[in-house]
Amino acid sequence: MLLTPRLVFGPDALSARRGDGRYRVERLASSNQTDLFVGPLLDARGLVKAFKGVRAVDAIDLRVNTGERVGLLGPNGAGKTTTLLMLLGAITPDAGEIEILGHRLPQQRSAAMGIVGFAAGYLRLPDRLKVSEALRLFAGLYGVDDERAAVADGLERFGIAHLGDKLCEQLSSGQRTLVGITKAILHRPRLLVLDEPTASLDPDVALRVRDRLLDVCAAEGTTLLVTSHDMREVTMLCDRVVFLAGGRIVADGAPTDIAESFGHDDLEGVFLQLAGRALSEADEL
Amino acid sequence: MSWRRIRTVVRRHLSVMWRSPHRFFDVSVWPLLDVLLWGTLGTFVASESASSKASVAYLLAGICMFHVLYQMQIALATGFMEESTWSRNLLNVLTTPVTEAEYLAGIGLLGLLKLCVSLLTLVVSAFVFFRFNLGSVGWGLVPVSAVLLVCGWAIGFFVIGLILRYGASAEVLAWGIQFVLMALSGVFNPITSIPAALRPIARVLPTTHAFAALRAVVAGDPLPWHDIVVGSIGAFVCAGAAAFYALRMLKVFRERGFITRFS
Repeated sequence: MLLTPRLVFGPDALSARRGDGRYRVERLASSNQTDLFVGPLLDARGLVKAFKGVRAVDAIDLRVNTGERVGLLGPNGAGKTTTLLMLLGAITPDAGEIEILGHRLPQQRSAAMGIVGFAAGYLRLPDRLKVSEALRLFAGLYGVDDERAAVADGLERFGIAHLGDKLCEQLSSGQRTLVGITKAILHRPRLLVLDEPTASLDPDVALRVRDRLLDVCAAEGTTLLVTSHDMREVTMLCDRVVFLAGGRIVADGAPTDIAESFGHDDLEGVFLQLAGRALSEADEL
Repeated sequence: MSWRRIRTVVRRHLSVMWRSPHRFFDVSVWPLLDVLLWGTLGTFVASESASSKASVAYLLAGICMFHVLYQMQIALATGFMEESTWSRNLLNVLTTPVTEAEYLAGIGLLGLLKLCVSLLTLVVSAFVFFRFNLGSVGWGLVPVSAVLLVCGWAIGFFVIGLILRYGASAEVLAWGIQFVLMALSGVFNPITSIPAALRPIARVLPTTHAFAALRAVVAGDPLPWHDIVVGSIGAFVCAGAAAFYALRMLKVFRERGFITRFS
């Protein structure tokens, strides 16, 4: 099939003009057409969030381009989840701006969330619904055309078709995580945001999930933003890593480059170094 | 506004109701028990005094219209509680394209459906057990119902605001607040019979004017439009204030990161 390039104008083009020169033309493999979007898929500038006077997120700039697979890492309390929740519009930043494919939060939250999928290891699902019902509900909220087909396809993709008739409240935490990820990709999102996606999974299931996620990203050009404490997982999933500590970005780059710049063989060493530093700073306070 | 997303919200809550038979108590068992309780009381009072023959009609019409208020309020409040404090599904919903207005429209529509079922239960049981025909009261019921419907939204919005701000601990108000109104609004009796100290509060409640108009039409008098107009203005002012409060609390909810309470 001959693919026709299409340039995206409107708010997207405007956001590109406001850029700092790092923006580039992106090829979106997720579309029937070869879309040419000018600008980053996710553009967060100067994000600040404090709770009771303590800065959880301190002037974070995060740009994620289409097709990137980005790992957001850092010790407990580094500000990862707060950052993700701000990017999803669930928490309002004290300062800063967020745009997703040119849709500015919070004014255009609905349009922005239409192209974002979200799952977290700690998230529950509607208790009294069967898995297939719950997924059809989300497919409806995301405006998926053929809800049944999308749900069947999603369940099949993660090897959990047998869970379709089970009540959500009867799922184990691992099964719930798999259903949550299935929910997050039902509408073929351009940006998939995952918070600790494999935290409660057995190693073999976690491996399967990582493989499927890589398949999804490769097949549909999905951009990935994921937090995890599993450095091996991040190395496997992500081509870029952003390290947070004390609410600030302390490193941003390819996993191997970051490990090298901190003088370690792998990300595990970097993580332990930053976590140790965060602990000693907390002790000093 | 997306009609499809509104329908999806309705479908979500109907599926939960279908799978949880006890959720039907609100629209079947409680209305039936209310009719039996107030109808029996009215019958007893009527049998004791020849001048109290109309008490059955006052009590049953009162409880039927009280359910308009109750069903709307409880549908909004429990619809939100289902998502927030019971299922802890709020973060999933907040990260979809559904807007606040669409979600409220969905649970409001569900409230109307539940109201229809509960009114059917009330009307049929009042007729079967006490030969009371609510329809005989006439078209005056329509404006009275409309005022109470809007009052129900107002209380529902207010309770949602409280839950957003104070979390699960505010749930108790969802169940109890309408009984405060029942006591102060003169659902079954003129407010001259409630304690004098409480009458100033009763007079400013829009629900008081709606029930005063109801008693007039049940007595066969013309609809007191003055009560309907005052009640309507009061109801819309309360609904506007409550909606403003709920939106303000949603803003606080997002600013203070309260979403973590529900996930």
